[in-house]
Amino acid sequence: MAPAPSKLYADDVSLLLVLLDTNPLFWSNCALPFSKFISHVLAFLNAFLRLHQLNQVVVIATGYNSCDYIYDSSSATSGSSGTGKMPVFCSKLLENLEEFVIRDEQLEKGGPGGGIASSLLSGALSMALCYIQRVFRSGPLHPHPRILCLHGSQDGPEQYVAIMNSIFSAQHSMVPIDSCYVGAQNSAFLQQASYITGGVYLKPQLLDGLFQYLSTVYATDLYSRGALQLPKSVGVDFRASCFCHKRTIDMGYICSVCLSIFCKHHKKCSTCGSVFGQQAQSDVASSSNKRKMSDS
Amino acid sequence: MPQVRIIAKNFMDMVAALPAMKLDRLYQNAFICEAILRSLQPLAKKYVIQMCYIEEPITSKSLEEWVLPGGFSKHKVAIDRLLQLRIFSESFDRTTGTSYRMNATFQINLQKLITCGAILPREPMPSNITIRLPSSQELETYALQQWECFLLQLINSAQVERMTNISPSMMRIFQRGLLTQRDKEAPRLTESGFQFLLMDTNAQLWYIIREYISNSEEIGVDPEDLISFMLELSFHETGQAYNMNTLDEIQRNTIKDLEDLGLVKLQQGRKESWFIPTKLATNLSVSLTDSSSRKEGFVMVETNFRMYAYSSSKLHTEILRLFSRVEYQLPNLIVASITKESLYNAFENGITAEQIISFLQQNAHARVAERVPSVPENVTDQIRLWESDLNRVEMTPAHFYDEFPSRDVYEAACDFARECGGLLWEDSKKMRLVVNTEVHLQMREHLRRQK
Repeated sequence: MAPAPSKLYADDVSLLLVLLDTNPLFWSNCALPFSKFISHVLAFLNAFLRLHQLNQVVVIATGYNSCDYIYDSSSATSGSSGTGKMPVFCSKLLENLEEFVIRDEQLEKGGPGGGIASSLLSGALSMALCYIQRVFRSGPLHPHPRILCLHGSQDGPEQYVAIMNSIFSAQHSMVPIDSCYVGAQNSAFLQQASYITGGVYLKPQLLDGLFQYLSTVYATDLYSRGALQLPKSVGVDFRASCFCHKRTIDMGYICSVCLSIFCKHHKKCSTCGSVFGQQAQSDVASSSNKRKMSDS
Repeated sequence: MPQVRIIAKNFMDMVAALPAMKLDRLYQNAFICEAILRSLQPLAKKYVIQMCYIEEPITSKSLEEWVLPGGFSKHKVAIDRLLQLRIFSESFDRTTGTSYRMNATFQINLQKLITCGAILPREPMPSNITIRLPSSQELETYALQQWECFLLQLINSAQVERMTNISPSMMRIFQRGLLTQRDKEAPRLTESGFQFLLMDTNAQLWYIIREYISNSEEIGVDPEDLISFMLELSFHETGQAYNMNTLDEIQRNTIKDLEDLGLVKLQQGRKESWFIPTKLATNLSVSLTDSSSRKEGFVMVETNFRMYAYSSSKLHTEILRLFSRVEYQLPNLIVASITKESLYNAFENGITAEQIISFLQQNAHARVAERVPSVPENVTDQIRLWESDLNRVEMTPAHFYDEFPSRDVYEAACDFARECGGLLWEDSKKMRLVVNTEVHLQMREHLRRQK
């Protein structure tokens, strides 16, 4: 079913796309200061780049209004040397990150007020997948790609459809989405993303030891994953959002033709236009959408 | 090509074989730590990164808990390698069992590498001193030319117009194992010599460097210094100039030899001189694990067994001549055909069909490299068939028995030979049989007892 990537490098050459949550509304309330978080992440990225000369990292910042590429190791000149305090690529990355955060904030002022607490995960995922597609098409040899979401802010139900579409396209091109969730509650989106694409979902218990989590679990290349038992999530929250009000629901109505989900009974499906019959009983919901979602 | 791997790994074996003290001294250089980290198997790399900030010993049980049932052999290989390179040290405790601890020097250097990056012992020279640096394109051509010139001299010194400066004694060392010379005949390539030629550049380079290092002791240089210098060199930036004054005496001598191999280009300014590492040098640390740095291919094979090689290199002609008949040569094109005779010649010299096929596949021209398969199937099949043709007749030393006194004795002998698993042929009408030489003695004993 999947268009098998034509020719990969041997074994463990990897392309890691990191989606970095930069939502200020989340980080201002988080137990782990952003500065510490980023230092863990930078150390991890550096370690990852050291593993193989051909390893490649792309960092995408996920803001609350926009997202953008902030670092790409393939376009950087040289990563091995440094000034003695910090590897060259880190300072470059931090510079870009700062610019991005300022830009992201300005967008907020221009647009409608009343900040949303969630980050633009769907946009970042699509950008990552676009990048991977470009790599696939670039030539006969390319590294094994995978996506790592370093996310903290809560899910935005309004992004449900876009995120699910990204997840399925990642599954289709056999790109695992790993997710490391540093927020308070579990993220249903990321749980589903990792579950469907065969990645790892983990919510670190001790945020101070983030580097250890990252290096133990997420540094494992796809080749070694065949030999190792990585953490598996115990329960996955398969709840969906309805297409009409973008609310997360336990039970709802599903269009029998296109599988759109609604929280209330409609006469006509807003997605495909099929006309529904009469509502049978007052509140007998259609079959558990839990199953529907996991099967799809 | 399995040989490539063996030779590439052998270099790390050489590092692993160094005495503990020297190994510890090597690990004081952050670049060597990185190069060694890169040379490890994927799983071993992961263990090293994972243990990077753990100073306590980790029990082998807790590592094994992560391993899936199917992955135990890989785990074992990874751990063995780490122990061999003394990156992990093993200790045994009654209560907790075996536990591993990371080499402190290695660990500290790795931590530094991860958080601070590493500094090369020498800075690139500012561009106002160096007159004109070669462009990356020029540098690459230069490197390849040097390397091919060296290879050509290695296999066939008569054909070279321009000799490299490598001393004849050094050349003989390289040729040892690759060439044989009988009295007054011209030197001939040995089996491993043929295989060497079909390898990719990086593997060849490591082979030569390994020979170079292992013979360094004879000229009074510590192999450890050379190993560390080579590995360090691979982290220099391609195309940048580095001052020769930053090198010590031994390194300066080495670098002159490396110039002949095409690893560096030496330039002389008004006052100072400098060296410029080429791609060959900076790819050294990559090639330890696999041959991912591919060069442009040049060979096209057609279904009619004709081969077009877009190359003007003499070396390529020589290599193609190993297994095909070169029909004509144009300035940038070699046309050859793969024939039964040319292949038999190759097989006789110890080249295998698989090697030829993988050579053709690895060097496929960009136009055909994208196609699957890049070499027509009928050609690859035929090459394999011709090889198996040679192995059609199998020779077994045997003994022939006849003139048995009676049918009973004959049948008993047959049964006995069958039991021993040495009966090759029997003719019950004329009471004759043939047995394997291995059971001949037992057979004789048996017959004697019958009498």
